[in-house]
Amino acid sequence: MGSHSKRRVSSRNVQPVLGALIIGLFLVIGLCCGTYALIDRLVDRAGPTPQVAASALTVACSPEKGLAFAALVERFNAQRFKTPDGQVMQVVSLQLDPEAMLTAVLSGNADFQAMTPDSSVWLGQLDQAWGRQRGDEAATVVGETVRYAVSPVVIATWESLAREMGWPERAISWQDLLARAQSDPNFRWSHPSTSSASGLLATLAEFYAGAGKTRGLTIEDVKAQTTLDSVAALERTVRYYGQGNEPALIEQALKEGRAFLDAFVVQEQMVVYFNTYRRDQERLVALYPVEGALWEDHPLALLETEGLTPFHRQVFARFRDFLLSTEAQQLILRHGYRPASLSIPLSGPDSPLTADNGVNPAEPKTALQIPGANVVQVVREVWWYTKRHTNVYLVVDTSGSMRGEKLAQAQEALHVFLDQIQGDMERVGMIQFSSGVYNVIYLDELGHNRAALESAVDGLVAGGDTALLDAVYEAFTRLQDLGDTDRINAIVAMTDGRENNSSISLNTLVRRLERDSKVPVVIFCIAYGQDAEMDVLQAIAGPTGGQVYVGSLETIRDLYKILSTYF
Amino acid sequence: MNRTRIIFFAIIGLALLIVIGGLIWSQVNRTGPEPIEPKASNEPLEVQITCALPVADWVQEAAREFNAAGHKLEGRAIHVTVTPMDGLTAKGRYERDEMAPLPTAWIPDSRYLVELVNAAYKERLGRDVFLTDGEYRARPLVISLLAWGIYSSRADVLQARYGTISWQSIHDAALAPGGWAELGGQSDWGFFKLAISNPRKNISGLAAMVAAAGEYYGRTNITGEDVTNPQFQKWLGEILSSMSDLSGGTYTVADLALFGYTTGDAGQLLESDLLVNMQGIQTRWADPLRIVYPEYVTWFDFPFTVWMGPETTAAEKNAALEFEKYLLSAEVQKKALAYGLRPANPEVPVTGEGSLFDQWAGQGVLGVIPRTTAMRSPDREVLQTLLRWFDLNVAGR
Repeated sequence: MGSHSKRRVSSRNVQPVLGALIIGLFLVIGLCCGTYALIDRLVDRAGPTPQVAASALTVACSPEKGLAFAALVERFNAQRFKTPDGQVMQVVSLQLDPEAMLTAVLSGNADFQAMTPDSSVWLGQLDQAWGRQRGDEAATVVGETVRYAVSPVVIATWESLAREMGWPERAISWQDLLARAQSDPNFRWSHPSTSSASGLLATLAEFYAGAGKTRGLTIEDVKAQTTLDSVAALERTVRYYGQGNEPALIEQALKEGRAFLDAFVVQEQMVVYFNTYRRDQERLVALYPVEGALWEDHPLALLETEGLTPFHRQVFARFRDFLLSTEAQQLILRHGYRPASLSIPLSGPDSPLTADNGVNPAEPKTALQIPGANVVQVVREVWWYTKRHTNVYLVVDTSGSMRGEKLAQAQEALHVFLDQIQGDMERVGMIQFSSGVYNVIYLDELGHNRAALESAVDGLVAGGDTALLDAVYEAFTRLQDLGDTDRINAIVAMTDGRENNSSISLNTLVRRLERDSKVPVVIFCIAYGQDAEMDVLQAIAGPTGGQVYVGSLETIRDLYKILSTYF
Repeated sequence: MNRTRIIFFAIIGLALLIVIGGLIWSQVNRTGPEPIEPKASNEPLEVQITCALPVADWVQEAAREFNAAGHKLEGRAIHVTVTPMDGLTAKGRYERDEMAPLPTAWIPDSRYLVELVNAAYKERLGRDVFLTDGEYRARPLVISLLAWGIYSSRADVLQARYGTISWQSIHDAALAPGGWAELGGQSDWGFFKLAISNPRKNISGLAAMVAAAGEYYGRTNITGEDVTNPQFQKWLGEILSSMSDLSGGTYTVADLALFGYTTGDAGQLLESDLLVNMQGIQTRWADPLRIVYPEYVTWFDFPFTVWMGPETTAAEKNAALEFEKYLLSAEVQKKALAYGLRPANPEVPVTGEGSLFDQWAGQGVLGVIPRTTAMRSPDREVLQTLLRWFDLNVAGR
């Protein structure tokens, strides 16, 4: 056989292989096309895929109505309203203090498109700051606004105490409350700081009283020395400043009853809430000050910022309509608010606004005048000088169990605490403890030692045992030695573990807290994590009128932030 | 053909059949999204309307019915969308070029706002953007006016003391150092509290200030000189010092109803808003509101105004006119009565079924206003002077 016959043989061998390849190729193509057609048909038969909202309308909500607002949002979302182009409308609620809302909008960092603070006062403040920022007073950022619930700001007090003051036969005034606070050293009252509407409104009432007016408050009135002296005298009777988070305040009242405080300033709805859930505690009643009440009017406002889309507008409009619907308005009433819809009577059979719940829907009879935004701003600024100042020791656990993320989060929380206290006249000190008591930053005005405190927080290192009781006693002794009765004296003690290395026993410490307390000291304890001994912390905080909070890696920052509002 | 070749061609044939069959099946049974068609002439005509708040509910209801009825223009369906916006806010947005997208038509509170926007555009573009005559001219849809709304318990006291409700009697009540107790009312009513809208936020607040000037000077045309008169400013300042909220919020009749006499004893507010809230006020506060008409009347005519710029097409403009005709029809005009609005169509009386004018006649509401001393629209300078004065002297900005 020559070379030709070899090629022929080779060609014969290749033909079947080529054939098989071609057949395989066609089969693959055929299968692909068939599968495509089948899938195409199946998908089409299933109908159009329901469209889910690419985004949602995020609404910043002030904390005092968190519960009611969450219920409203849940109901709205459950109804799966759709935009004309088929997108599902969703609302997301984001809890923020009104002040934080303003800061976020003005800095351009707001990750929300609408806001529902506790009062329209904040909207006026926001528009004014917005216009000033842009050099155009007419420029505004607050768009369409709707009110869906209102509640007057009241003085909540125990029924027996209210009767001692002449209630209900006699209308009670701010002056009555303040006179009682000044004459009775055991009287403990509180109002929130000016970062919440109830705190701001209570402060405005004090400035009105100080200026001897019930309307026409001017910047000159606010800054007059006689007004400042009068407000400072009143503020000296404040036990400590409540947090803006009113539900937490009421929870505390539910837990401690009359031992908590004698009187505090909240919206009427909180009194209803307390009386609805109280068990064997005495009833709270709402006092509507005769000089005039103020209203928390819970506006929902669309923010006309650059990121606002037609989708957001559509969801806002639908959500607005939903909030004003009978269904939502009745839910609002059940939560103890006065609904914006006037077709729902406050005295209906399902209304919780009853004398049994300590409130009177026929009140208030008159309201205090809300001054202009400039005056409100000056009141907020001047309050830091007139408020009762503070001596507060931060007692910080740096035992071995605090190593790692725990200490890092605590350090961040301590920085937040220091940042939140804006007044440089507040005195803050810090005590670090582990096997012993170390690294004391002496109490001084923040204007002098803020940098030292920040640096000490950064330098905290974990290791050793837990001498909590010695550290608390050290702080308590220092405050007693100072003997400053003009200021709020407080200790904020944080620990994550079991006491195991103090020279003083718990019984001795508690005895001394009770007996040696020439200067009243309030102790707030933070149980950081699961291992902290709650009974020990309760025993420390209880006799001083303080409270115990449970914190975690996630919440420690917010906890310190809340505590900062007490001072 | 040997057996191998037969199998070979059979397999190829089968494969081809599968391919062709698959393709045919896929085409025949296709039910996916329709291909996007190029813009067809039968696409609906979108009419965007920015509408003043006092008439928004009425216009929105009409728009829903108009859309549902399938109105067409030259074979194309018309779809109307209504965006409620206060007249002053809309005016500001037009002037600052912030009205985006530009609505096809605008229904402001008053023709006067249209003139102000036109004046601003004329300065910049040399032409009007809203026509005041011809086919596209602004036509009033409904009418309302500023009236005193006052809680009955308070009205009795003021009328007993002053005989009438006027800016002067309100001024004197506001200045009473002993508050309501001094005027003959109850001490727990506190001081007299005036309810008018914030003039920065609502055109009716600004109009109320102009009306006060009308009564002060006893005439209807107010000038810049009038409003800069220190004595007038002092008088007006004393009245406005009794407003209950100076923080910059909008104060409307809804607020007067919601917060009751706690924040407002009486106020000069839009009649239609007062009428709409009468029932709610009785439910919530058990003290009915009384309506009293002032001597110097400020009218609001809510004109339907078509944007003339090239941003909207001729077809859209004409579609807007179709909706305007619908709003002016007797049937839709009658429905305005339920919103406390007076029909602009002279064939429709203010009385009749569902009319709030009938329902609240016992509370002082009049179908025909006996005194017709209508305030004239002041020029732009007067308004700006008043606003600036308000900011500095009342709101404390």
